[in-house]
Amino acid sequence: MATATNPSSGSAHRGVQPLRAGQGHSFLLRKLHSLSGVIPIGAFLLEHFLSNTEALKGPAAYAAQVKFLNSLPWVPVLEWGFIFLPILYHACYGLYIWSSGKSNITYYPWAGNWMYMAQRWTGLIAFGYIAQHVYHLRFSGVRLADHPGASFAKVHHELANPWMLALYLVAIIATSWHFSYGLWLFAAKWGITTGDKARRRFGYVCTALAVALITLGIASALAFLNPKYKYGWTESPSAQTTQSQLQMPDVAASK
Amino acid sequence: MAERTIKVEIKRQHDPDGNAVVEKFEIPYRPNMNVISVLMEIAARPVTVDGKETTPVTYESNCLEEICGSCSMLINGRARMACSALVDNLEQPLRLEPLSKFPVVRDLQVDRSVLFENLKRVQAWVPIDGSYDLGAGPRITPQVQEENYPLSNCISCCCCMEVCPQFNVATGFVGAATIAQVKLFNDHPTGKVLKEERLHAMMGDGGIQDCAYAQNCVVACPKELPLAQAISDVGRQVMLQAVKDIFTT
Ligand code: HEM
Ligand code: SF4
Ligand code: SF4
Ligand code: FES
Repeated sequence: MATATNPSSGSAHRGVQPLRAGQGHSFLLRKLHSLSGVIPIGAFLLEHFLSNTEALKGPAAYAAQVKFLNSLPWVPVLEWGFIFLPILYHACYGLYIWSSGKSNITYYPWAGNWMYMAQRWTGLIAFGYIAQHVYHLRFSGVRLADHPGASFAKVHHELANPWMLALYLVAIIATSWHFSYGLWLFAAKWGITTGDKARRRFGYVCTALAVALITLGIASALAFLNPKYKYGWTESPSAQTTQSQLQMPDVAASK
Repeated sequence: MAERTIKVEIKRQHDPDGNAVVEKFEIPYRPNMNVISVLMEIAARPVTVDGKETTPVTYESNCLEEICGSCSMLINGRARMACSALVDNLEQPLRLEPLSKFPVVRDLQVDRSVLFENLKRVQAWVPIDGSYDLGAGPRITPQVQEENYPLSNCISCCCCMEVCPQFNVATGFVGAATIAQVKLFNDHPTGKVLKEERLHAMMGDGGIQDCAYAQNCVVACPKELPLAQAISDVGRQVMLQAVKDIFTT
């Protein structure tokens, strides 16, 4: 076969370099990225979506859930060690992966190739959304860890802006998609679903998961706008969360 | 009545460092031509549509039956084998370009040696060289033969690498073909003595971890190798090896 460089010289290759067997750390970094998407980020995502469905039961139940979560031991360690830092790592390394690959959908408009591109864009949407979400609801305004009773009102206030609501809906869809397809990718790449049939079956499972997450997510988001709770924070809370009545700072004023 | 013709546009480059130019040709139509026979027709009378005399187009081909793997090129933008690309099924003008991710030698001929270098780095062979006769090898059951035979069909055409969104200069990703051969030789009763070394090689930079599972390779492979399955299988072998390494090295 013809070669562009003298094959016997062993000189540097033009074009794509060959495998660097036994060199570098990208295996570890890449597998950590992959794993972090499922545990802890994906696991937290499931918890977060399920916790938010408490909003469907009204402000009191929602406040109780917020209170419960903040009663867990070592909340700051959980937050930073299992949520913020892993997301930051996954996002940064994800952007690096994105920048080194090259989508070629124009010439090869095939299903897996579309999903490859979608995995990158949905990841980016998720990240942009998460950044503003965490900033608005966790790091500014009233501190919900100290005032769980104000949770429903704070989120209600956020979603009352139609642009914000639209962003939430897009982000819920993008994040659910990214996680569900990511789970499928994870199983395929780590050799859990090695057979074609197994991958197809797990594909159905992941599709169902995506539909379930999107449904739950949108239902929860809309629950905050339920006219029944328009004045949620003036409604008498149920006995289970007496504390939620105690702290009702004016959310609008604190922003 | 105007004679029926075949219109062809070919991206040409005189040498590895030369500038690429597109030359247009028009040749008389014959039924059942493939892209190689079009190139042979042009070689017989290398004159462009504008009547300018030029050189015959350089390309690689040998078997003309999709078995040697040498004639891969971009045909209407897509990587495929020129010998099995039938003109009657293709849109015109035919656009022929060299593979985009391999160094051009001249015109449509590229240097695919990165695949051969990769196969060497994973030791994609059965090691039987020695100073004495090793005797007959162990038997391979028909079941294993059946599973692995499709992997032995690889013709080293590099289509799977050309279409892979992860195979490029930035990643230096090894590509699907080499991963499939790792599975083939790891599953071979004699070849498996090198299994650990192959798996360790696969964990190096540019290794299997760079696959994003877009599965373009599966669609593009002219020999229909079960590449998605091979990548998953080797993915499992590599993970098990990595876990084993944590405890035993
Ligand atoms: C809610 C937050 C997120 C979750 C639950 C999540 C989850 C996952 C999972 C499970 C995977 C599959 C792992 C694999 O392919 O091996 C994945 C892949 C990926 N994620 Fe995320 N992710 C999140 C956020 C992000 C962000 C913010 C980015 C940054 C842009 C991102 C970029 C990527 C990329 C590029 C891949 C594909 C990797 C590949 O194809 O090899 N993800 N994600
Ligand atoms: S599955 Fe996709 S990323 Fe992996 S080798 Fe094939 S084309 Fe490349
Ligand atoms: S795996 Fe298929 S596409 Fe890739 S080099 Fe082998 S025959 Fe060609
Ligand atoms: S000429 Fe051998 S594969 Fe096309």
